[in-house]
Formats: sequence, C-alpha cells, structure tokens
Amino acid sequence: MFKPLPMKQVLIQLLLDDLPQASLTLAELGSFSPNSADEYAESFPNIPGKQYRDRFQQARSRLQKIETHVQLTPPGKSLVTHVISDAELEQTNEWLGEVWERCSAYEEHFRRLTDEAHMLDQLEQALDNFSSLNIDLALLHGERLFLDLHIGMLPSTHVPQLKEAIGLADYLLFSYMENAGHTHVIIIGPKSNRENELSSVLDTAGFHALEIPPELQDEPGRIRQDLQLRRQSLDLEKQQREEAMSACADELRPTLEQCRDVLIMAEPLVAMEDAARSVGELAIITGWVPVKTLPTIEAELRRTLTHPFSITATTPTREQHSQVPTFLPTNWLTAPFSSLVKQYGIPRYGEINPTLVFAFSFIAMFGMMFGDVGHGLVIVLAAWLGRNKLNSFTPFVICAGLSATLFGVLYGSLFGYEHLFHAIWLPPLSDPLYMLSMALLWGVGFMVVISLLYIHNRLVSGELSHALFDTNGVVSITLYLSVLGGIYNLYQTGSFGVAPASMSIVTLLTLLAFKLIETHATPGERMLVATIETFETLTGYISNTLSFLRVAAFSLNHVALAIAVFTLADMMEGTGHWLMVIGGNLFILILEGAIVTIQALRLEYYEGFSRFFSGDGKEFTPLTLSLEGLK
Amino acid sequence: MNNTINQAYLKTRASVMAGQLIDATEVESYLHTPLQQLEKMFGLEGLSERGLSDAELNRTIERGLINTLMNELSILLRPLNGSARDILIYWSRKFELYNLKALIRGKLHNLPYDQIRESLHILPALISLPHEQLLRTENVPELLRQLEQTPYEGIARQARRVFEEKNESFSLDVTIDHRYYTGLLKHARACDSAEQPPLLRLIGSLIDRQNLPWLLRYRLNYMLSPTETYYLMIPSGRQLQSDLLKQLVNMQEIEQMLEALPAPLNDHLGECTNIMEVELAMGERLSYQARRCLSFSPSAVTRALAYLMLRELDLKRVFAIIQGRVLKLDEALIRQAADINTEVRHV
Repeated sequence: MFKPLPMKQVLIQLLLDDLPQASLTLAELGSFSPNSADEYAESFPNIPGKQYRDRFQQARSRLQKIETHVQLTPPGKSLVTHVISDAELEQTNEWLGEVWERCSAYEEHFRRLTDEAHMLDQLEQALDNFSSLNIDLALLHGERLFLDLHIGMLPSTHVPQLKEAIGLADYLLFSYMENAGHTHVIIIGPKSNRENELSSVLDTAGFHALEIPPELQDEPGRIRQDLQLRRQSLDLEKQQREEAMSACADELRPTLEQCRDVLIMAEPLVAMEDAARSVGELAIITGWVPVKTLPTIEAELRRTLTHPFSITATTPTREQHSQVPTFLPTNWLTAPFSSLVKQYGIPRYGEINPTLVFAFSFIAMFGMMFGDVGHGLVIVLAAWLGRNKLNSFTPFVICAGLSATLFGVLYGSLFGYEHLFHAIWLPPLSDPLYMLSMALLWGVGFMVVISLLYIHNRLVSGELSHALFDTNGVVSITLYLSVLGGIYNLYQTGSFGVAPASMSIVTLLTLLAFKLIETHATPGERMLVATIETFETLTGYISNTLSFLRVAAFSLNHVALAIAVFTLADMMEGTGHWLMVIGGNLFILILEGAIVTIQALRLEYYEGFSRFFSGDGKEFTPLTLSLEGLK
Repeated sequence: MNNTINQAYLKTRASVMAGQLIDATEVESYLHTPLQQLEKMFGLEGLSERGLSDAELNRTIERGLINTLMNELSILLRPLNGSARDILIYWSRKFELYNLKALIRGKLHNLPYDQIRESLHILPALISLPHEQLLRTENVPELLRQLEQTPYEGIARQARRVFEEKNESFSLDVTIDHRYYTGLLKHARACDSAEQPPLLRLIGSLIDRQNLPWLLRYRLNYMLSPTETYYLMIPSGRQLQSDLLKQLVNMQEIEQMLEALPAPLNDHLGECTNIMEVELAMGERLSYQARRCLSFSPSAVTRALAYLMLRELDLKRVFAIIQGRVLKLDEALIRQAADINTEVRHV
C-alpha cells in the first residue's frame, strides 16, 4: 500500500508457434508489461510478425477512419478470445479496405456536392451580375468564326500571372467580379491553332467555365427557378447520400464490430514489438510482472499453450530500478488521489507510494481551511447527486466534504453561523494566533514527514550520501529542527540555546562540505554555488513551513467571508435577508471551495512532492485487450 | 522587427554563425578528414559504427543535419516577432514540402507504406505534418482530403485541382513549388518597409535560380507551350523579370536563351551547354549573392535568411560527403555529389 508492488523481470522461452497464444493470454491477464529484449538480440536476432504488424496497422487505421462514419458500440467485456491467424487478419484487413473504399467514395462524393453547391452560389452571383449589364448576351453564345471566347472563374491569386501568360498567345483577360477568393473573368482572343495551348494553361490555372443561358435576358425568373431546382436537387442528393450511408452503416455495423474484436485479439502480438524475439522455431518474450501475479501467469500459460515453455523470473537489482515500471495499486477510494499524484509524476520503482500520504494530508488540509458542517454536507450531497459525472472522483469530493464537516464540528460552524452549537475545539476567529501556530506546527510535521520519505527513497536507491547529507537528508532535517528549536527557545527564554546553536552550526558546516564535494566547478565558483545552495536549503525549509500559514489563514478567511455575508444580510429584511444568506453561502461554497482546493494541491505539489520524489518513474503499462496500445 | 537592439543582436548572431559556414578548402578537406572526426563535427557521433542499412543511414544523416539547421533557426527566431519571424518559419517549411511531394508521389505510384515513410524527413512539430495519418491514406484524393485539415490547406486545394485536371505528379510538384515561392514573396511583402527591398532581392535571387532551369526544362524537355511555361514561372525574380521571361519562353534554343540573359548573368552562364550546368551555375550565383547579403545587408532578417540558405547548401554538401564516405564510394563520385569540382568557378 505504501510502496509500488514488487516486480519481477520475466523471460518466457517458448516455441514460435505458441507466441500469438502467449501474447493473447498475457493480454487477457492484464498484468504483463512487455519490455524490449535487446540484450538477447544476438541469440534471438529476429523480431517476428513484421507482416502481421503491418497488416494490423493498416486494418486499424482503416477501422479508425470508418468509425468517423459508422458509430460502433463499445467492445463487450466478455470477449470470447481466440488467436488471430495471419490469414484471418488479412481477410479482415481486406474487408475493411473494401468498406473504407465505399466510405472514401462517399466522402469524395460529398465533397464534390459541397463544391457544386459553392459553384451554384458563384453562378447565381454571376447571373445577377450579367442580368444587370446593358449588353446583348446573345453575343456570348455559340461558336464564332474569328473569336475564341471563354467565360468563367478562377482563384483570384492566379489572375495576374494568367493574364500575362495568355497575353503571349494574344488573348485578353477581363475580370468583372470578385467573390470569396474567386475572380469571374472573360477571356477573349483571335481564333487560331493556339486554342489547345490556351485550354492547357486554363486547366493549370484552375479555370472553371460558366454556362450563360441564352434566355438570360428574356427570362431571368425562369433561370433563377432553374438554379433553385438545381440547388434543391443537390440538397436532395446530399440527403439521399446521407441516408444511404446511414443505412449502409446499420448494415455493416455488426460485421465491423466483429472486425474490431478481431483487431483487439490481434493487438497483443503487435504490441509485443521487440519484447518478443525469435530464432528458428524458438522464441522469447521479456517483460515485467507484479510478483503476486506470477503464479497465475504461469498457470494460465500452462493451460493455454500447446507446447512446453519455460518461465524465468528475476528480481531486479538496485541498479536496474530505474528500468522497472512502477505499479501503484489502487481501489475505488484511492483511485482519484492516485490520478492526482500521477498528474505530478510517477514515483520510481522502490520509492514510497505517495498516494496515501497525499490523500490523508489533502483531506485534512481541505477540512482545516473549509471547516463548516453545512458546507461540508452540501459538498457531500452534491458529490453524491453528481456521482455519474464525477465518476471515479466521487469519493475524492465526498472525503473533502466529510473533512469539512468534521472540522466544522470542531470549529462550531454551520453555514457560517457560529452560535448554533458549541465548538468542540474552538471557532478560528476567537484566537487567530493560536490557529496560526497550529498551522505552523502542521507545516513542521508535514516537512518532517516529507524529509523522512526523501531519506527512505534515497536509501532505497542506494544513495546513502544523499540520504544523509543532501538537501532534505538527515543533516538537513537535523539543521531544520535545531534551528526551529533555537527559535522556540528564543521566543520562550530570550536565548537561542547552546545545544540548538552548536547543532545548527555543525549541520550547516556538514551540509556546506557536502555541497562543496558535490559541486563540480572552479574553486571560486564551487565555493559560491555551495554557499548559496546551503543557505537556500535552510531558507527553503523556513519559507516552505511559513507557506502552511495559509491553512490557518483560509480557515479565518472562511469565517470572515461568512461575517461579511451576514453583515450584508442583516442590512436587509425578510426574503432579502434569506436570499443574501443563501446567495452568500453559495458564493463561499463555489469560490472559496475552488480556491481552497487549489491551495491544498499547491501545498502538496510544491511543498511536498517536489521534495521527495522526482516523478520520473515509468508507469506499469500492461498488455490488455483493447485497441489503444499499452495502457 | 523595428527594435534596434534586436536588429543589432540578430546581425551579431548571424555574423557569429557565419563563422560556421564552410568554404571550398574546408569542403575539400572533409574528403580526407577522419570519418569519426567529421561525424563528431556535425553531431553524428558513432554513425559509421552502428551498422545501419543504407536507408537508415540516409535518414539518420538527414535527420541530424536538419536538426542542426532547425536548432540554428530556433536561435535566430528568438529576437524576432511578427512578420520577420513568420518569413523564417515559412522558409523552413520547404522541408515539409519535400515530404509532401514524397507523400503525393508515393501515393500516386502506390508505393508501400515503409518505402514512403523512409523518404520523409523528421521535422519539428512547428512545421511538421501529421505523417502517420497521411501515410495511412490509401490514394491521392484521400491524402488531399486529409491535407485540407492541416495548415497546408491552400496548397492541398490547389494541388487537388491540378490532380483532377492533370492527374500526374509533375504538375503537382510544380504547383506546390509555385505556391511555396509565392507564399515566400507574400511573407516578404508583409515585412516592414525597411526590410522589404533587401529581402525581396534575396528571395528574387532564389526565384531566379528556380525559374531559369525550369524554364529550360519546360520548353526544351517537356515541350510545353510558351504560354504555359510562362504561367508556371514564379513572378518577381531579381534579374529574370517578367518581360525577359516572356522573351525567353518564346525562344527555341538553349544558346539563344542564355545569350538573351542580361549581364553579368549571361557572362556567368555563357559556358553552360546543358540544363544541369545552368542549374549548378545558378546555384553558385545564389550562394554568392546570399554571402553578400549575409555580410552587407542592412536588414537583420535578410542576413538571417541568407545564413540559413547558405547553411542548408553547406549541410547538403556535408551530407553527401559523409554519406559517400560511410558507403565507401569512389572519391570522384563523392566530389560530384558534393559539387566540389565546380567550387572554383568565379561569380
């Protein structure tokens, strides 16, 4: 519970034929994390399944693309598994290819319809433009004996270059309208054998010819009606296409879901990558497993594999710890806290699992800063009502609410009213200095615990000198406590005291000596860096401890806000008074609740986590039956 | 960039970095420098000892050199903001356009996934396309549909039109290049009025180098009409301006075209007899003009751009030498690939 699960590195030696089944079994168990078998590369030079992987990747990509058109139901939990052969995967891939071809054709067609609708817009505007011109439009029609005439549109950016280019073939370009990045143009030139030359350059320039109906001048209403009809037919076609696609999706869905299941079962072998190697008919799989799951894995492999195999498990040496993945076990209660720890980082293998320390201290600090029975119970109720939205974070919010309730009982506060029942401890505002000193004591305790965790983590990593002498090590914590003791003496008796003073000087000098040894630089720079770092260690402890004053400050702030709300409420009467009380309490709940959460997290991350764990561990990512790679 | 301090800083930066540019003697010396030392000089330590396949070797060297260039670009970008910053970033997009062309060509010819992937440069996220997603497309229209969801939307739309009309990779390549250089000009014109003239001169030289060999190819090899050839030219070259281009596209012989060039370009290209020589000579000319910009341009961003252009040319040559030496190719071949023999040509 306080440490990541102990892990073993396993080497499974088996026949190549059994490799797919072994991968599938390991994925079903969900407690094997593959690890590159590079050290066996000489004896087992091949990484099997290249073609299988390529096929899988293509099939998965096709399925992902198809899923943008066909919504699939999430995969069932009780999947009846079997090994997916190369042939079955190939068949699935080919079928998905055919389906994707249909979807792609649909996308392309839909795209064409959208372009056509855009063209219709352009045409409508062109016709508007032409109908207002005072020219004989009949002249723009039909073949002419001496004149080559083109009317159309092209991207505006191409117009200047095209104008100059066709000038070389004695053509002229006139633009008469610009709209949405397109320019409408008339191109005119003498009839000659250069028409092909022109049509080629027009194609390159993205020229689209526009039809000018001969009856435009006589029957503009009818033309407009035609355009309307074309637009309606376009919309109808779009709608029909969508319906056809939807019908097609309904028809294909069951088979697509089967294909998805095939890919889920094929993925474990693909996800092995270079954790599986082979030579001839022999293969190996290497990876990490939690010690407690080892017997199950062995038994399950024995049950499912048809040929003999051997499994060797070794305990990682201290030097290998940086390579070992960290498995932080969670349950429904600790899962949200574990998620927040992971937001900061993953502890290295062997280091203390900070989840419980985090959970306890966060809940306690939230309650201390937000102590109110009424507010706490509202939070609990809200979390319960919103449990479907909060999901795994429901226990987190409920715990925070219960903590606020408990401290509310200690502070004697109910929705800001402090006279409704007697405080078991004391109302914060009755003795602010006492509250501040309690917060300081909490801070000192927190810092000591954090330093002890650091010392433990360094000892686990075999870094004895750091555990003893580094910032947060034994010497530092002794220095911190002796300085605190001295300050307490000074406050109580007016003198720092010989024992704390001598202890402070000795530990300070020891720390300085260690920093001098650890710093690699020129003598002057070394002295400067070591001195600054030594004093920074001391000032860091002091300032981080003072940071915990905010715990008391927010408890006072909570009461002060309540007083402000009641003062405003007392200025009103009847409904206004109660509306103010309710509104003010909501304000406190939402605004101060958010601030207190952020402050508590800040204290955890900055004053706590940054001191004792680096967060650069590797999370245990077991093979699972899913399409999302290693989880 | 109108901040005097930033201008001074960037000029100094570019000058300091210019010390890394290699001259003819240095390039020559790389042919005989111990390979391990050469690899170390360009951040490719242990390359020859890793037993990489030819394709892996290509990718590793390319990736290393592009990384070098991108790191230097990020240093030069630091004091820049707005349009000056945009133009340097836009210039670096050319590497992603190489990828785009490789992707389109690969899809057009139905090349396998691995083969296309091996030909792609790995680039920083700032300019990189979603390669994996694009590689998984199954034909050019689908690739273009995917591209329309990226910052290369404009290029994709234009490329789609060309693909639908012409359905071949040459036209797509031309369209992409055209669009890129037009974009570069547009970015230059968006810069401060003080920066614009030197920037446009430098980009004009770059466009000249692109335009002339392609004009010769379109007219003499692909037999395109004068009209279409002119349309495919990038406007706003430095010496090859529109009137001259119009004359050139109407000519039929390479000698006639080279004679029609203005001085000193015609002197410099006078001895060329084929398109390859013209291309090399134009490359040298660009290199000469970029070096002048790097030393004397009043615009800091022009100096930075000139430095990047020169550095890219240098790194390409180094790439050719290292690659040739790791593969134990003949020295003459390496010289040819690294353009060493032509280095002494006067500009």
